[in-house]
Amino acid sequence: MWDNRCKIAVSGVGFSKVTRSAETPLAAHALQAVQAAVADSGLEMSDIDGLSTYPELPATGHAEVDGVSIVSVNCMMAMLKLPDLSWHMQVGSVNIGGAVQQAVNALLAGVCKYVVVWRAMHNPQGTYQNLPGSHATGATQFTGPYGFGGPGQGMAVAYTRWLEKNNQNREKMATLAVTQRRHTQNNPDAYFYGTPLTREDYLSSRMVAHPFCLFDCDIPVQGAAAIVLTTADRAKDLKPAPAYIAGYGQRLHFEVAGRIGSLSSYMEGGSSSSKLTWERSGFTPKDVDVAQIYDGFSASVIYGLESYGFCKEGEALDFIQDGRMELDGELPMNTFGGSLGTGRIHGLWHIIEGALQASGRAGPRQVKDANVSFVGASAPIVTGTTFIFVGDPY
Amino acid sequence: MSDWSKVTRPIPVPDEWTKPFWDAAKRGVLELQRCQNCGDFQHPPYATCVNCISTDLKFEPVEGGGTIYAYTIMYHTGDQRFAGAVPYASIIVEMDKAPGAFLPGNLLGVPYAEAKVGRRVEVLFETLNDDITLPQFRLAQTTSTA
Ligand SMILES: [Zn+2]
Repeated sequence: MWDNRCKIAVSGVGFSKVTRSAETPLAAHALQAVQAAVADSGLEMSDIDGLSTYPELPATGHAEVDGVSIVSVNCMMAMLKLPDLSWHMQVGSVNIGGAVQQAVNALLAGVCKYVVVWRAMHNPQGTYQNLPGSHATGATQFTGPYGFGGPGQGMAVAYTRWLEKNNQNREKMATLAVTQRRHTQNNPDAYFYGTPLTREDYLSSRMVAHPFCLFDCDIPVQGAAAIVLTTADRAKDLKPAPAYIAGYGQRLHFEVAGRIGSLSSYMEGGSSSSKLTWERSGFTPKDVDVAQIYDGFSASVIYGLESYGFCKEGEALDFIQDGRMELDGELPMNTFGGSLGTGRIHGLWHIIEGALQASGRAGPRQVKDANVSFVGASAPIVTGTTFIFVGDPY
Repeated sequence: MSDWSKVTRPIPVPDEWTKPFWDAAKRGVLELQRCQNCGDFQHPPYATCVNCISTDLKFEPVEGGGTIYAYTIMYHTGDQRFAGAVPYASIIVEMDKAPGAFLPGNLLGVPYAEAKVGRRVEVLFETLNDDITLPQFRLAQTTSTA
């Protein structure tokens, strides 16, 4: 087990308003989320001495403009002007889970006391994923000419492989979409709060990139989420019940740009990162009371459940049936609605929900007696970042 | 069947690693990068062998058929250049004689619903302009395998 098990905790969470289009600049969303997280922790903004983010814009073919389509550490610091800033970090790979894990490391190193981590997501005008223009260079020279690289297609090819190899049926995914949308109705901050979804809606929905229909894809939104992390001893003195980090793991799926890997090689990011998390925390999948599994595209849940070891390969769509992922089910899952419910804010919301469930702060969607709370914060098919939070640091 | 007649494809721009691939395609030959040390094929071309990090790499003709490893049917019309062909099949092909190298392409000449994992395909060549010819795929016309 990890020497630093349960030595760092999440002590505050916050969100901005989540809107479909960019009505206000992204910097305002990020600031709103950060202020809400700090207020939730009971700290003053001037107490914050560490900043961390993953500022990537996942939409292809759009410019990265700081404050408008991304919010960098530089942009945040220009707004906050923190008097005691002593550590900051902007990760360029691994996703937002990596930014959180770097904050954990900085706190363990003792170079800062209270870190805020945010993820701000922009919804550009026009098509979200653009194919190359008149000419296709670099890795896109082998995909763009075939009309390959548009919304969802990269994830969809792995899904057809999984479905047909395992003789499975995409209609079973309706259970995920409908259950998560029901969970969303307990999350007022989510984009789809107040908008129900039926099995019939899912099954009659228009296709985007087979096997993905509209409701397999998280809706692009403009919004931000943020969390405050600190050391366990400091967390005890703060207002919210702490969510202790029992373990974490990160592993990239190491691959040359543009190379299409096999399905099993894609699963490696999830299996290798979760192996670290299981070993460090001392827990196994059977110990988990509640799980947040990244679902930017629905099929990511399949790769997550299988590569993290919750079920065997080829079984994930059967695993989620029969009420297993309900709040009172065997493995309550994506209890905040997932990205399919909140809109595309990437994995920080999964991390936040994992922390809230562990500390008993999830309100109407709280899983009874939840202690061991697992998070897969990214599509394991690309990168793997995983966490386990506990409320009771035994 | 997808109607490709009104589609304007982005034109590939060869670079120092990929030029032999495109030069071969222009001659109507599928050539893939092969490591002369361990024998692995890889695609897209790269500076080193992804398997054994050797830099002794050459392009070699890859004959025969292949199999659809994975695919997707595109319905979304966000990119207007491809709107005329929607729905269309984008496929990932593994050639019999170059296992582990995955080639993107479209499945031409049959309804898009014919795209299935494991179906046999063969290469054909689609001329885009005087410089660039695109390797493409159709269902195998013969039943022979490697
Ligand atoms: Zn080699």
